[in-house]
Amino acid sequence: MEATKPIRVWPMLAPVHALVLGVIVLPSLYVVWLSLSASTFGQAPVYVGLANYLKVLADPAFRQALLNTVLLVLVAVHVELLLGLGMALLFASGLPFRRFLLVAVLAPYAVSEVTAVVMWRFLFDPDAGPVTLALRAWGLPTLDWAYEPSHALVLIGLLTVWLHLPFTFVILYAARLAVPGELYEAARIDGATRWQAFRRVTMPLLMPAIVIALLFRYIFAFRLFSEAWLLTKGGPARSTEVVAIYLYQEAFTFNAFGPAAATSWIMVVASLLLAGLYALVLRRSGASHAH
Amino acid sequence: MTDHFKALPSRRAVLGTMAAGAALIAAGPGRAAGKTLNILSHKVHQTVLGTGDGDLLKDWQKASDAELAFTTFDSNPLQDRLFREASLGETDFGVGYLIDNRPTAQVAALFEPLDDWQKKNPIEDFSDIAPGLVQGMTVGGKLIGIPVRHATQGLFYNEALLEEAGIAAPPTTLEELIEQSKKLTFTSKAGTPVTGMVLASDLAVFPVMFARAFGGDFIDGQFRLVPNPAAMEAGLAALRALFEAGALPRSYATTKNDDQVTWLQQGRAAFTVLPFARFAQLNNADQSKFPGKIKAIEFPISAGLKGKMPMASVVEAWAMSIPKNARNKDLAWSYIREVSSKRVTLGMAINGNGPVRVSSYADAQLKAKNPVAAVEAKVLADARGAFPPFPEAARAQATFLEEVQLAVIGRKPVKEAVAAIVERVKPLMPA
Repeated sequence: MEATKPIRVWPMLAPVHALVLGVIVLPSLYVVWLSLSASTFGQAPVYVGLANYLKVLADPAFRQALLNTVLLVLVAVHVELLLGLGMALLFASGLPFRRFLLVAVLAPYAVSEVTAVVMWRFLFDPDAGPVTLALRAWGLPTLDWAYEPSHALVLIGLLTVWLHLPFTFVILYAARLAVPGELYEAARIDGATRWQAFRRVTMPLLMPAIVIALLFRYIFAFRLFSEAWLLTKGGPARSTEVVAIYLYQEAFTFNAFGPAAATSWIMVVASLLLAGLYALVLRRSGASHAH
Repeated sequence: MTDHFKALPSRRAVLGTMAAGAALIAAGPGRAAGKTLNILSHKVHQTVLGTGDGDLLKDWQKASDAELAFTTFDSNPLQDRLFREASLGETDFGVGYLIDNRPTAQVAALFEPLDDWQKKNPIEDFSDIAPGLVQGMTVGGKLIGIPVRHATQGLFYNEALLEEAGIAAPPTTLEELIEQSKKLTFTSKAGTPVTGMVLASDLAVFPVMFARAFGGDFIDGQFRLVPNPAAMEAGLAALRALFEAGALPRSYATTKNDDQVTWLQQGRAAFTVLPFARFAQLNNADQSKFPGKIKAIEFPISAGLKGKMPMASVVEAWAMSIPKNARNKDLAWSYIREVSSKRVTLGMAINGNGPVRVSSYADAQLKAKNPVAAVEAKVLADARGAFPPFPEAARAQATFLEEVQLAVIGRKPVKEAVAAIVERVKPLMPA
């Protein structure tokens, strides 16, 4: 068959390229340009070089927000991975009422973030929340999230894990179901224990799925906004602010478009760096385990 | 062909139906009006104009052959959208509702100066509109908005809870308010844990009111930053004392404006500070456990200043503006004139709007409908905005609130917090 000449294919692909160019590339370039200028409503942009980046990086509020974000991302993503992996293995091993349980596990992913936060705010209300009252009745410590920043970060983390666990779980569960049963049979014949089968068969074969799940979750989690904004609005005194809230405040409260654009690019670079490095480490260790 | 396929509509039938449908839509009834005026506002601005037979603008719409198309948002997103629209080459929006502490010189330049419109086709009895509110919408000597609504802050209290705690009358000084708030931090007969006072922590209004009760301010009309630090310290110390005594909720740092309403309606708090316009909502029998029992008075000044100077409560005002790039400015001005008329101002006031005309408060119908109209009018006479507009005002407010929160919840001594407010906000002030 005669190979199709590229010139004939290009018109077919052009709409996709135009879409990517119009929806992703051009707006990104516009944000780069915006990050290099000072502008607000009623003021024409003035080129300021890297001043916005330096201003943002020097701002203690940004550094606190970045620290909070990294902390939340690291904890939430790893807790999700551990729970998701455990649940995927449990489901794959065979469970009664598997379909019903699957629906129950996946349900939080269908709940909108706003609804989830309202629900959790009600449940953990420091004065009248059912969970708070129950914990108090049993003599257990409660989450003083409206006053203690560390407690607030714990609640934000828990909520994030609850909301996004189904994503990690589905990826890992699908990958686990794709592992051929013969491999486990061979391992058993060779005298492998359950733990050895998990380390030598399951983990190496799940590693690509784990890397994908982690990569996506790192990127998504870095954009964390609704949970923190609707629970604490970043307070008390900006102590629970995350980078996305910092960006929102700069853009929509202070109307400082330059620093807001610079923050958005710092976010992109930081999340890609974090995710990329982690994926690289995992891939290498996964590859070495496989051999 | 099987019966099953026969039952399905043919391709020709589907195409024919679609074509006929499109033709019907195209040839459908003409629009009710020849012109459309697009308006960017808060939902409340649309609601107070009434609907159906109670539509205050139905005659104007008929006479102008115009229909109104409202696009509504909450306050901050509304201002953001309005400024974005006004920054474009051209906008479909003829009228935008502006908050009085937003128009900096740069923002004001995006809006049509209205002085010439007023000269050409004046608003009825313009001098009747509160001069302070008109002044708030005059930037660089140019009038850029016609005041349409004000939200003047008052002190609301639950009369039933006061009676239960054996308090005969609401406070007349700030010191009494603090004392009563502490006394009202108890468990009511109904078993509800009551907090003396509930205030949102994300609005400058409340710490500013406390500072003013001692003769201080955050930023005054002459752009003086914390003109009386001792008064600001006294105000924040009062809030700190309330928090320490449990008379402000432990969740103070995450309490929002809406929480104030629900806490008062549910009997979870005895006092709060809200605009007088909330009176009806707080006493609404469908929402409140204490309909008719929630009253409002002027926020009290400190004992040391009582009788020496009036309490300057905080007032926030809204105004109608015309973006400079609007397409149909004549229609927009005609709308503004009509909404600003005595008849519509009074009608909106009866529907729950804070009237900007002094004469509206004298109306018997309004007095009957709104029992706090008289006290609101009295408070409005001495009220002023929380702070004047300037380019970094939003950032200054956020910085101020950050330090206030630290002081109130006890993470920073009050004196240090006030010093930090001065130090951190100073670089943001206009030259």
